[in-house]
Amino acid sequence: MASSEAPAAAMEVEGSGPPAPPRPQFEALKPHEMSDGLVQFRKVPVPPHRYAPLKRNWMEIYTPVYEQMKIDIRMNLKARRVELKTRSDTPDVSNLQKCADFIHAFMLGFDVADAIALLRLDDLYVDSFEIKDVKTLRGEHLSRAIGRLSGKGGKTKFAIENSTRTRIVIADTKIHILGSFLNIKVARDSLSSLILGSPAGKVYSKLRAVTARLAEKY
Amino acid sequence: MAAVEDEKRGEEALERLKAADPPLYLSPSTELSQVARAAARHLYSALLPFCPKAPVDRLIADDGFDAEQIWYQIDLLSRPLVSTLRREVRRLEREPPEVLLLAGGKAAAEAVKGGHGEEGEEEEEDDDGEEDEEEEDAVAAEEEEEDGREEEEDEEEEGEGKGQGVEDRFLKIKELEEYLEKNEEEEYWQPERRKRKQKRDEEEEEGDEEEEEEENEEDADEADLELGDFDEDGDEETDLYENARYEDFFGGKKKRGLNKKDGGRKREDSDEDDLSGGSEDQKMDDENIDTLNKNNLSTHEKELQQIRSKIEQMEKANLEPKSWTMQGEVTAAKRPMNSALEVDLDFEHNVRPAPVITEEVTATLEDLIRKRIMEGHFDDVQRAPVLPSKAPKEYKELDENKSKKGLAEIYEEEYAQKTGLAPQPLSVSDEQKKEASILFKKLCLKLDALSHFNFAPKPVIEDMSVQANVPALAMEEIAPLAVSDAAMLAPEEIFEGKGDIKEEVELTQADRKRRRANKKRKFKAEMTKRARQSVDPSHPSGKQDS
Repeated sequence: MASSEAPAAAMEVEGSGPPAPPRPQFEALKPHEMSDGLVQFRKVPVPPHRYAPLKRNWMEIYTPVYEQMKIDIRMNLKARRVELKTRSDTPDVSNLQKCADFIHAFMLGFDVADAIALLRLDDLYVDSFEIKDVKTLRGEHLSRAIGRLSGKGGKTKFAIENSTRTRIVIADTKIHILGSFLNIKVARDSLSSLILGSPAGKVYSKLRAVTARLAEKY
Repeated sequence: MAAVEDEKRGEEALERLKAADPPLYLSPSTELSQVARAAARHLYSALLPFCPKAPVDRLIADDGFDAEQIWYQIDLLSRPLVSTLRREVRRLEREPPEVLLLAGGKAAAEAVKGGHGEEGEEEEEDDDGEEDEEEEDAVAAEEEEEDGREEEEDEEEEGEGKGQGVEDRFLKIKELEEYLEKNEEEEYWQPERRKRKQKRDEEEEEGDEEEEEEENEEDADEADLELGDFDEDGDEETDLYENARYEDFFGGKKKRGLNKKDGGRKREDSDEDDLSGGSEDQKMDDENIDTLNKNNLSTHEKELQQIRSKIEQMEKANLEPKSWTMQGEVTAAKRPMNSALEVDLDFEHNVRPAPVITEEVTATLEDLIRKRIMEGHFDDVQRAPVLPSKAPKEYKELDENKSKKGLAEIYEEEYAQKTGLAPQPLSVSDEQKKEASILFKKLCLKLDALSHFNFAPKPVIEDMSVQANVPALAMEEIAPLAVSDAAMLAPEEIFEGKGDIKEEVELTQADRKRRRANKKRKFKAEMTKRARQSVDPSHPSGKQDS
């Protein structure tokens, strides 16, 4: 902690007077200590359509959260919630939030493999928007728009996902995009153009140009 | 005396001829011929002084001479006389001299006319009787000459007789004499008549005031002079004009007043501009006017006149406003319409004039074209070669299938590639390149083996692959050819299995039970797995945790 050299250095600096006490050096606060020993919680509600998938993928979710993030996780069946709690040996403050985001992403509809990326990378985000934010569509137009977005067998959606390295979830009128900030932007632009009515081919050509640029960057 | 005797004799002869009976002339008689010759000689000598050109001084009419010869001499003598007489007769007809004694005058006039008529008749007789006898001819000629002489004598008598008493405003004896003298002078080539001519011109001036043409007056003068007198004398006229003097025309300085009046009238009538008239003296004006009027100018005066007229023209032009071409800047309003089209305008063309296409030009062009076609030398634009500056971009196809890797895995791989922990996966082009290179090497090997005579070993393609059933040590076993490799393997190498294997016979009861239990357990596990798969097909078959 205190080195023997410090007082000598202090003494060298100040010729007269009593030697100043050595500067304390503290280690980083653990999250447990940060909250003064209190435990932090996160609660993520589970929508009914995600209940069964949650049950299926529980171990894949639980394992990384508990063992690598060192966050306590449990499913509150009565409240239909997933609850997260910090432990004393949680290494980082942000782990809890990351785990909460991971669980939330899963609840939105993303696969565990995709959502796991949230745990591993910092700069991944989830962006959501609705179709009506882009253009007010009603009735059949709305249905057609949704169909345009996903394409035949989902090929348009997959094309966008593969080219922009994002993951897209189209839940009726809500659209969720998981990926890095720029990729989210590109995916959102292409999805917006699809909503506004441009044909898929046009979107593909734009995508090709953009992805080439993006690929060059990386 | 001799002359007088001759005269007498001649007259006697004439008398005798007269007295002789006409029928006597029909037959030839020497006496009558002698008489006739004498008469002829007499008449000839009588006429001789009046004739200008006489062939002989005396008529040679001897016996030896023929009628023709005698007649010829007489003819030569009388011919000019006849013409003179005719002229005189005509003049007298024109200006019959007044006769105091009317009876005598009448008689004279009648005689003149009668003589004229007789002369004509005699001429006719002459013409007819030339082929008749010689005496008739001679007689006719004598008679003719006689009459002519009589006429002359009559005329002279008349003239002298009347001169004494008659002088009217029409007839002036002095003028008549002067006229006669003048004509004679001109006939005989004697230039004495300036004064006469001058007087005559004065008379004609007053008579011909209104005539302006120069030549008319000259012609008139010439015509007057020609009348009756100068038919045969053209040379005399030119001589007249060459020696003309100012006074001949303008009658000296006394006549200025008269001329001025005439000039004044002429100036009013003339069309010439007399700009210089006011500035000059009267004398000069008169002179100018005189020169203009008379128009008998010398060359110098003519030149001066031309120059003067030119000067007048130019001064007039200077006073007038200039034409539009001479003015400076002219707008379209100041010049007449379409006048710029008629004028040759000169201005700079900044444009090269269009080339005139002639046949030569087209011929040269066509030759050039043919030559080029034969050579094949066209100026085609050649496309600039696109340099392969950079490697062809790898065209990444859009994958429309669901990605098999999760997002996390993708990032993981990317990170690994960046840091270098994991090798980059071969792209499609790389794989294709590899395949292509392998194929090419194989081909090259085969070609080399065919072309070279020395042996080249097969290239070693390092391939990491696990080969099953190969012993660690490959020992060469010297075995007979008939033995197959399969037989060379040891039993342990062939056997696949583990543990202590017992036969059915060797199995104990417990083993049999154990075996059956395992079997059942396996079967059950399989069944549950199959059931679960059928329930949830999307879920990957993995171990399910409770």
